[in-house]
Amino acid sequence: MLQTIQSDIVVDVVGETCPVPLVEMRKAVMKAKKGDIIEVKGTHPASKQEIPMAVDSLGLELLGIREEDQVWHIFIQK
Amino acid sequence: MKHERIYLDNAATTRTDPEVVKAMAPYFTETYAVASSQFSHMPGIQAREGLDRSREVIAQKINAKPEEVVFTSGGTEANNLAVKGTAWAHRRKKDHLICSKVEHNTVLHSCQWLEQEGFQLTLLDVDDEGFVDLTQLEKSITDRTFLVSIQHGNQEVGTIQPIEKIGRICTDRGVIFHVDAALSFTTLDLDVDRVQADLVTLTAHKIHGPKGVGALYIRKGTPIKKMMHGGYSEFDLRSGTENVAGAVGFGRAVELAQPKYVQYIRSLQKGLFEGLKKEIDGIRINGPKTLSKRLPGNVNVSFDLIEGESVVLHLDMKGISVITGSACFSRSLEPSYVMMAMGFSHERAHGSIRYTLSRYNRMEEIDIVVKSCKEVVEALRKISPLKG
Repeated sequence: MLQTIQSDIVVDVVGETCPVPLVEMRKAVMKAKKGDIIEVKGTHPASKQEIPMAVDSLGLELLGIREEDQVWHIFIQK
Repeated sequence: MKHERIYLDNAATTRTDPEVVKAMAPYFTETYAVASSQFSHMPGIQAREGLDRSREVIAQKINAKPEEVVFTSGGTEANNLAVKGTAWAHRRKKDHLICSKVEHNTVLHSCQWLEQEGFQLTLLDVDDEGFVDLTQLEKSITDRTFLVSIQHGNQEVGTIQPIEKIGRICTDRGVIFHVDAALSFTTLDLDVDRVQADLVTLTAHKIHGPKGVGALYIRKGTPIKKMMHGGYSEFDLRSGTENVAGAVGFGRAVELAQPKYVQYIRSLQKGLFEGLKKEIDGIRINGPKTLSKRLPGNVNVSFDLIEGESVVLHLDMKGISVITGSACFSRSLEPSYVMMAMGFSHERAHGSIRYTLSRYNRMEEIDIVVKSCKEVVEALRKISPLKG
């Protein structure tokens, strides 16, 4: 299902380390409309774990995480 | 977030008291004349009265004379004027100045700029609680020294410096003593005669006053040159149209800063310290362990195994505003210079969190902050790459 998901906003933080992925994800969430799907793609391992924590704190929905060639994609719905 | 935003970054700036805003309002729409126009028309006289009334209130608070209080655009300008203004007044006569390694950047960078311009600078060490080395201070003063600049309370770890002892040393050695009291004004007593201070920096926005206004106390007879040219206002020490509304707000903020609030903030500080220590393992206190030796609203701790920036971001998402000594937000890898001067490791400096309280905080908020910190620290430790 995650392969076919259509993202409304893509946040590319490949190569960035903490705290940049979390900060960029939050900026995208602020700009997004209710119902929008935000895809965060990155490579920093700690961020892959921190972003789902943030999704929980912000009361958003975590649709899933896909990983290929060491790049993770986190799908969030506002 | 089931609660309203909890703001614990009051050392950065504070909420302006609505009474302050009320006092300032007429000076925007009714009494808006330039105070220097007092010799020309009635609105100018009224503006001058507002400015001078506030000057008296501020002077009284530090046991100074009104004509020794010069309004500035804030603490930054007051610190720049104190350091550069005295340097310029001593040019070609004396060329050595002293400050500590933990001064606010506005003092530190002003001193370092003078060093680049040919002055000699001594930076004093501090111990692991942030206290200045007084023996080193005494040894550092020479017949070339014109200024010692030491803050009253530290912006990050809250250390209250022994300014009365430093004042005595400076008086004995005939050196100008500047105290940056931007963080301590109204929460700690400061009597310019008892402290033997020649220059004192004050600012409004850290005491629930407006941003954009501060003051420099200048003891009568202190050699100092003005830095802003183009007029004769503020006793010919600071040119520029007077910020009458700001000054009036500053004065009102001083009037509203009652001693009862200091006791109240101390009780919140104690509650937060004890709550964090009781609930969270692997916590280190940064700054003095004895609360009476810290600024009343300051709590600064490091959590083992996690980065401060992660804690800050996750607390923000829980509706709590604090800051970290880690400089990663600015993309610089350098941790807080204050923490490094205190001899801490990079890890401890990067893990530090500063909570600063005000009279607007409540004890119920402290309970929420402790609970939220515990949750965030535990969750971050589970995913920490630093754990063994």
